[in-house]
Amino acid sequence: MKSIVTFFLLTLSLGLFSQSNSYSISGYVKSADTGEELIGASVIVKSKNTGVSANVYGFYSLSLPEGTYDVTYSFIGYKEVVKTIDLTKNVSINVELSETVNELEAVEVNAEGREKNIKSVEMSVNKIDAKTIKKIPALLGEADVIKSVLLLPGVSTVGEGSTGFNVRGGGIDQNLVLLDEAPVYNSSHLFGFFSVFNPDAVKNVKLIKGGIAPQYGGRLSSILDVRMKEGNKKEFTGTGGLGLIFSRLSIEGPINKDKTSFLVAGRRSYADVLAKPFLNDNLSGSSFYFYDLTAKVNHEINSKNRIFLSGYFGRDVFGSGFVFNWGNATATARWNHIFNDKLFMNLTGFYSDYDYAFGVEPDEGEEGDDFSWESSIVSYSIKPDFSYYVNNNNTIKFGGQSIYYNFKPAVASFASDGLSNDISLPDKYALENGLYIQNEQKIGSRLSILYGLRWSHFMYLGEGTKFTYRDTVPGIRRPLERKEDFNQFDKMASYNNFEPRLSLKYDLDEVSSIKASYNRMSQYLHLISNTVASTPVDLWLPTTNNIKPQLADQIAVGYFRNFDKNAYEASVEVYVKDFQNQIDYIDNADIFFNEQLAGDLLSGDGRAYGAEFFVKKNSGKLTGWISYTLAKSERKVEGINRGDWYPTRFDRLSNLSVVAAYELTKKWSFSANFVYSSGTPATFPTNRYEIQGIVVPHNVDQSRNNFRIPDYHRLDISATLTPESNIDRRWKGEWVFSVYNVYSRRNPFSIFFDQNQDNPVITEAIRFSVIGSFVPAVSYNFSF
Amino acid sequence: MKIVRNIALIFVFAFLYACEDVIDLDLNTGESQLVVDAFLTSDSTLQKIRLSKSAEYFLNAQTPAVNNAKVEVFGPNNQRYEFISDGAGNFVYDPQVAGPLDSIGFTYQLELTYEANKYIAFSMLNPVPPIDTILVAFEEASTFTEEGYFTQFFAVDFAGRRDFYWIKAFKNGIPINEENPSSLILSQDASFSGDGADGFPFILPIRAAITDEENPFQVGDVSSVELLSLNEAVFEYLDQVTIQANNGGLFSTPPANIRSNILDVSGNLQEEVLGVFSLSAISRDSILIK
Repeated sequence: MKSIVTFFLLTLSLGLFSQSNSYSISGYVKSADTGEELIGASVIVKSKNTGVSANVYGFYSLSLPEGTYDVTYSFIGYKEVVKTIDLTKNVSINVELSETVNELEAVEVNAEGREKNIKSVEMSVNKIDAKTIKKIPALLGEADVIKSVLLLPGVSTVGEGSTGFNVRGGGIDQNLVLLDEAPVYNSSHLFGFFSVFNPDAVKNVKLIKGGIAPQYGGRLSSILDVRMKEGNKKEFTGTGGLGLIFSRLSIEGPINKDKTSFLVAGRRSYADVLAKPFLNDNLSGSSFYFYDLTAKVNHEINSKNRIFLSGYFGRDVFGSGFVFNWGNATATARWNHIFNDKLFMNLTGFYSDYDYAFGVEPDEGEEGDDFSWESSIVSYSIKPDFSYYVNNNNTIKFGGQSIYYNFKPAVASFASDGLSNDISLPDKYALENGLYIQNEQKIGSRLSILYGLRWSHFMYLGEGTKFTYRDTVPGIRRPLERKEDFNQFDKMASYNNFEPRLSLKYDLDEVSSIKASYNRMSQYLHLISNTVASTPVDLWLPTTNNIKPQLADQIAVGYFRNFDKNAYEASVEVYVKDFQNQIDYIDNADIFFNEQLAGDLLSGDGRAYGAEFFVKKNSGKLTGWISYTLAKSERKVEGINRGDWYPTRFDRLSNLSVVAAYELTKKWSFSANFVYSSGTPATFPTNRYEIQGIVVPHNVDQSRNNFRIPDYHRLDISATLTPESNIDRRWKGEWVFSVYNVYSRRNPFSIFFDQNQDNPVITEAIRFSVIGSFVPAVSYNFSF
Repeated sequence: MKIVRNIALIFVFAFLYACEDVIDLDLNTGESQLVVDAFLTSDSTLQKIRLSKSAEYFLNAQTPAVNNAKVEVFGPNNQRYEFISDGAGNFVYDPQVAGPLDSIGFTYQLELTYEANKYIAFSMLNPVPPIDTILVAFEEASTFTEEGYFTQFFAVDFAGRRDFYWIKAFKNGIPINEENPSSLILSQDASFSGDGADGFPFILPIRAAITDEENPFQVGDVSSVELLSLNEAVFEYLDQVTIQANNGGLFSTPPANIRSNILDVSGNLQEEVLGVFSLSAISRDSILIK
């Protein structure tokens, strides 16, 4: 640990203050069409062979000696702008770039931005913009952020229709899913068929799988950073669509031109509206729908201060004699402040909540019998982040974060024949803190290093009861030994971890580079879920005296190369990952309404390794990518599989995605994607026995995940028709025709075993397919 | 009580394109084990313990019977009840011989000798509350049900103690779960989880579970119910049986073996023998639909 700090300080002092007589150029890079900041835009001075990227708020700062320079501003899909700057003092320059009209033009004028694949120190990172997400053929024609992420290298899922995604052998709770910096605790609508992000409101999606910088923490396996659009600062515009599942509408525009803008976007499913006439009387009171609402306002107070307010609210509602609903709510407030041309600050405060409710309303004449159950996780956070542009060779970032959590495992009551009782479980509280510092340093013209440290700290707080359990044979419920009550804000357990992070990039030549990274991550929140696919009622719980923080170390190495003047970018990465304190469950664990849940939990180790191959074509009529992942992911837990290593339920040896979009004419464009992945493991019985006429499956070897279900593959296609419209007309529409699972493959989600209904002595293996046929869809999208 | 089928309806909408089909599969077969199916009651009728062997999963016939064993139960004052083989895997005790096994609160012991190995198991005979009444209500046909009479039983759990129950329902003497034997009605105190339900009337879904919703009672039918007391270990066992025998779909849990309450002779958990030993007291009631 000490050596890392020494190394850090040493390197810092070497490179930091070497350039003295220089001035800075700083400012924002924005879109000329909408006024939105361009995240990651390139600012390059060719004569000095130097440059920087704009940060996530579009801010850049560049230091140069006195002189006259041609500064090139560029961004993928935008026309580049060259400014000649006579640098005799620090200057502030805001630049607006115009969108290129078509992809072909983009190739000619703008090859610059795509060098990032090789030039940036970042590795194991994939970015998708909203445009790409909308091109990918989707289930029922609904463009979807998470489903698009599943097509990236290193990402897999346990099966169709399940919540979340698995990155490099990590569980679905090991992804920090951020919507404008607020964590989203459950990213699914309808169990997992759709995600909570409205594609019309999304600006940019970035998935970080490795080489995770110190500014991020709290989850082991990935960061999915979803940024919402800021809202058009120039004019009012709207987009929307009518699909089979959702109807969508979003409106954005200036409140005060070039100073203040807003965005409001909403979606609602309407299967219930369509189904209503077909339901008979006793179902007409039933409801099944989901919706979400996204809103954002941003205001430029002056050239040094900007504020952003954004919020999300979404819910799934089902009911018919019962109520079952769940959803997230987030609110984020951010303040960008430029202290001077070298020091930039963002201060974020957020609130994020996920909750669900289940209840039974009595039928008529059955009053006095009911049940209600609510559960939630509520978090509040403050997070200052500073970027210090020391000089062209060093960018220091530092900051911290505090999150206060309130967990409500169950607020519940029931009544039976007029007699009622409260069966709530007590709330749990926790405080998570983090501090970090990092430096991104260029050494010579070829080598860049990003190094730093994150320190994380977690306290499990009162008021509450601390349970201590006796040890047993692993795999058997641990009995309670002792309990101790604590007052409000008393510390019941605490942990801290140092998380070193390091990334290196070395340019081999103009078109290729090698990169390597190491990161340690710690995670203090745990999703308690023992089902194949996570359910909406799964609980998030804090680290306690019984549940240790999860830890992961990852090493990744990669080779990056661009071809054909950056028209193609390619990479090969290999990674090794080691996990500690992974939660598992005893056989027949009791997860709900169990104050002594920790007695049913097991803890073990994990390991994952793999190779990822990725080729992406960025420009021309045909765009898309091919991604292939060869991977393994295993766990070892005392009490499961006789204590031996076993594959995780989402382990897939091979994972191939081919995504292609072809622009035939201005009127017609087509896209397709094909996915293939090896079957996931499953536990199958070896024997049967009979108890009271019931055939019970039994596994003599006590093995876990001892078989593989058949491989998964699927082809989806779509065609987009853009009718020619008068150029003066604001209204533009397009029709999207799509077919999901074109060749009707019955991809098995699982195989299970059951007794035949007609003859219970016969047992059968049953293949369960979530989607068993092709799914055609048509949708209409518009903008004005 | 339309909750269960309405939840089913939601899933129909959610998984409009889902499908299930029976497939052929080759499984590894493990070593065969002795299986004890010993559910006894305090009744004066013939008491039966079935011994069998586990077999390959797709045997698709009744598993082989075991006859060469010695089966005894011990009661108060070391009273011995001998279970005699009928040559078809059943070991039978006639309560005419030494009286029924009906000492409430006493822990009975099963002793089993098979192939020179000796196993024991314990079960306390817990009390069972009376069934106060069965109510009958007529319901119109709906999306998933025929019209007919739906019954509910009313009973109140004993206050001040943790109780475990198995509720068996019959239509004209035939179990309503005959086609789906793994669908069992179980209760902890008066509810599924037992939390806060000590001393309560059995809660609604349990109370009404004695009618087969797809095939309700008609005039002339007899609805009857048996309420059996269980030990905690047996409750857990049966609860697991219902889970492991119907463990499919998106939200299935990792398949797990069910832990037996049968011990080796020194009183340790063993791995050679499967099954369970249970002794129950029973309350009964029935009603003729008019």
